Amino acid sequence: MVRYLLIRTGLTLLTFWLIVTVVFFLMRLAPGGPFDGERRLPPEVETNLRAAYNLDKSLPQQYIDYLGMLVRGDLGPSFRQKDFSVNELVAIGLPVSLTIGGLALIIATTVGIAVGLRAGLSPGSRKDIALMGLTNIGIALPTIIVAPLLVLVFGVTLGWLPTGGVGSFSHYILPPIALALPFTAAIARLTRGSVVETLSQPHLKTARAKGLTERLIIRRHIFPIALLPVVSYLGPAATSLLTGSVVIEQVFELPGIGRYFVQGALNRDYTLVMGVVVVYAALILMFNLLVDLAYAWMDPRIRLQE
Amino acid sequence: MVKPGNRLQLIQATNTLHILPRILLFLLCWCLLSGIANGAKPLHLGNPGEPETLDPHRYNLRLEETILTDLFLGLTTFNAHGKIVPGAAVAWTTSSNGLTWTFTLRRGLKWSDGKPLTAGDFVYAFRRLLAPATAASLAYFMYPLKNAEAVNSGKLPPEELGARAVDEHTLVLNLQAPYPHLPERLLYPTGYPVPEHVIEQVGDAWVKPQNWVSNGAYRLDDWQPQSHITLVRNEHFFEPVEIARVTYHPLANEQSAYNRYRAKEVHAISNFPSGELDRIRENLASHLRLSPLLSIVYLVFNTTVAPFDDVRVREALALVINPEVLTDKVQRSGNIANGSFVPANVINYEPAVMPHLHLNEAARREKATKLLREAGYGTDKKLKVTMRYVSGIEAKKTQLAIASFWKNIGVETQLHHAELKVHFADLRQGDFQVAQAGWFGENNAEHYLGLLVSDTGNVNYGRYANPAYDALMHAAGQQAEVTARNNLLHQAEAVGIAEYPVVPLYSVMIRRLVDPAITGWHENSRDVHPVRFLGWR
Repeated sequence: MVRYLLIRTGLTLLTFWLIVTVVFFLMRLAPGGPFDGERRLPPEVETNLRAAYNLDKSLPQQYIDYLGMLVRGDLGPSFRQKDFSVNELVAIGLPVSLTIGGLALIIATTVGIAVGLRAGLSPGSRKDIALMGLTNIGIALPTIIVAPLLVLVFGVTLGWLPTGGVGSFSHYILPPIALALPFTAAIARLTRGSVVETLSQPHLKTARAKGLTERLIIRRHIFPIALLPVVSYLGPAATSLLTGSVVIEQVFELPGIGRYFVQGALNRDYTLVMGVVVVYAALILMFNLLVDLAYAWMDPRIRLQE
Repeated sequence: MVKPGNRLQLIQATNTLHILPRILLFLLCWCLLSGIANGAKPLHLGNPGEPETLDPHRYNLRLEETILTDLFLGLTTFNAHGKIVPGAAVAWTTSSNGLTWTFTLRRGLKWSDGKPLTAGDFVYAFRRLLAPATAASLAYFMYPLKNAEAVNSGKLPPEELGARAVDEHTLVLNLQAPYPHLPERLLYPTGYPVPEHVIEQVGDAWVKPQNWVSNGAYRLDDWQPQSHITLVRNEHFFEPVEIARVTYHPLANEQSAYNRYRAKEVHAISNFPSGELDRIRENLASHLRLSPLLSIVYLVFNTTVAPFDDVRVREALALVINPEVLTDKVQRSGNIANGSFVPANVINYEPAVMPHLHLNEAARREKATKLLREAGYGTDKKLKVTMRYVSGIEAKKTQLAIASFWKNIGVETQLHHAELKVHFADLRQGDFQVAQAGWFGENNAEHYLGLLVSDTGNVNYGRYANPAYDALMHAAGQQAEVTARNNLLHQAEAVGIAEYPVVPLYSVMIRRLVDPAITGWHENSRDVHPVRFLGWR
């Protein structure tokens, strides 16, 4: 087990280093630089700027310097947000992204499972057809269309909720709903499918024969089994919800790190883009590592393969 | 202790005897409070993006200029109509050769922490701006100062800069060459003073709200990146202002900005989708504010590559473009067609327009076909052009329309678009045939005409070089007197535009929505609206 843990951790660190390296050089390969704009820069000004941001050194030297900074936990100064370090920006933006993602995750699981259960318990009924029709729409409509529609209806026309930004509790209603929608639909369909499958299992007949109430059968014999595929779907879903609010953050003008990523890429803000990638990569890799370790803990076959 | 029966009697007594005066008292309080609340009502403004910095010496963007204008006061400043007026300086004099400028500062000026502001603060600020370590991208704005360029490249120490404080209230600026537009140059944040006593103590962290000290009508209170920037009234500012608190929201997306304005979350926005213009004219007419910006959008030819090194080809392509059709029929967003390289709204200057403007459409097309034939192009050998532009819907529509103009004279156009950074990086490297470009900013002709001087460097994208043009521009640069200077500039523009290194297309119209309850908002060609002049109706 210790050996397995060491190998997995080592592989994770290797992946992390690969990601950092690839992104570092990809970013430099993109045409245009951080100081390119419409305005004229005299050569002496450009020299001053390049020196201030360490860009006057050779590319390998910059790369080594960057790795050194990463080891010390320093993501460097932002090229664009000159008054903030990337560490500061991530510290401000990450809580916003995680809050939106976390709320979306809660909505997606609770609503998704409830809808799936309700539909699955009476397959073929009118209720089932209606609910599954709705989930089809939920899956088919991309966030980029749903989010602006929600803004238009609830923000502009009805005026019930703010159209964007952060501040009060009411700012945290529309974005998580828009983000959760496709995931809610997916979880609902998954739950329904596995509930229907569980319903045909022979052990339910036994349970009914024992004289258990329908409510108890659902809670004790259907729910836990039907939820298994949902739980395994939650891993990747959680990762993409917590990190995937780039579109939502753009539409709702939220100050999360997804927005930094887009703005940073457009402005060739090398350090900001690197910083966001590093944080994303670290989160995802950590998540995967934890899942892998948990599997190994539970399933001896994985340990034996090593 | 009051018994229940007594309490009931008490309430009845209150109701019958005291209700009238109470209502009156309540109304009085309400009026007073709402009066106070109106003065204290915070202002929420949309800004087209997130500032990169609030350090006036490191700034680079117009949207930063907007906020910095509220935070600082330069020697000169804008009034509510965008006109240049005295700021921290009350008056100035110029020597007869135009090289020495003496500024007298307003008495009793203070920083927002109460410390007196002196002429020495400006000397410190100019030296800091030009020090290589500051890495100010717009340091060259102050290159008119003597030795500024040498100081900026580290060849001379900052003490050699042509700026010195004679006493606490007198500042003398020495120039490299006569520059009559100096008061205009001093409007920009690059000319703002910065608090030496704070910077020497906390270094780059001086821009954090907790360390913030400035000399404008407002000081920085809160800055949440990508969310908002809040400014509060500077109690030490030399004159009272009505708005006590203003919050800027970065609204980069036009549609989001429009939504937030309609949801009444912000009181003014700086842009909205151009397609909404007609609807707004109908439904929100009292909110709509249109003002032509000092700007020129143009096509530039790469004069170093064939066939665009041939004047005949450039003229032929320019002849058939009808800028009015572009602005009035294609874009329909209020932009104004412009026939000269210098925008028509630049003051004290008579622009030189393209020589073909007096011809009618048929004559232009006939002449264009003839010129192309002379240059060796016709039905048998078609001219093929690749035109580059910055990605965007309006730009795409415009470029497609230009391509269709050219199709009429048998020219095949291929369109190629790229995001802004890539587009201008390629233009500076001369990696294009024909491209869309733009220039905006100052209210003087040389700001625009300087782009076509052969030694301007890589923002002379097309590498246009004409010794006659250069000579006229150089001669203008030696004139201290504005009229004489502008006469020479006009001659230069006439010489340049006749060779069609560029095709001027239009000036940009700024489209804003402003809450009609806001007072003191006046449209102006610089599109500046300092909050110190605003109030509530």
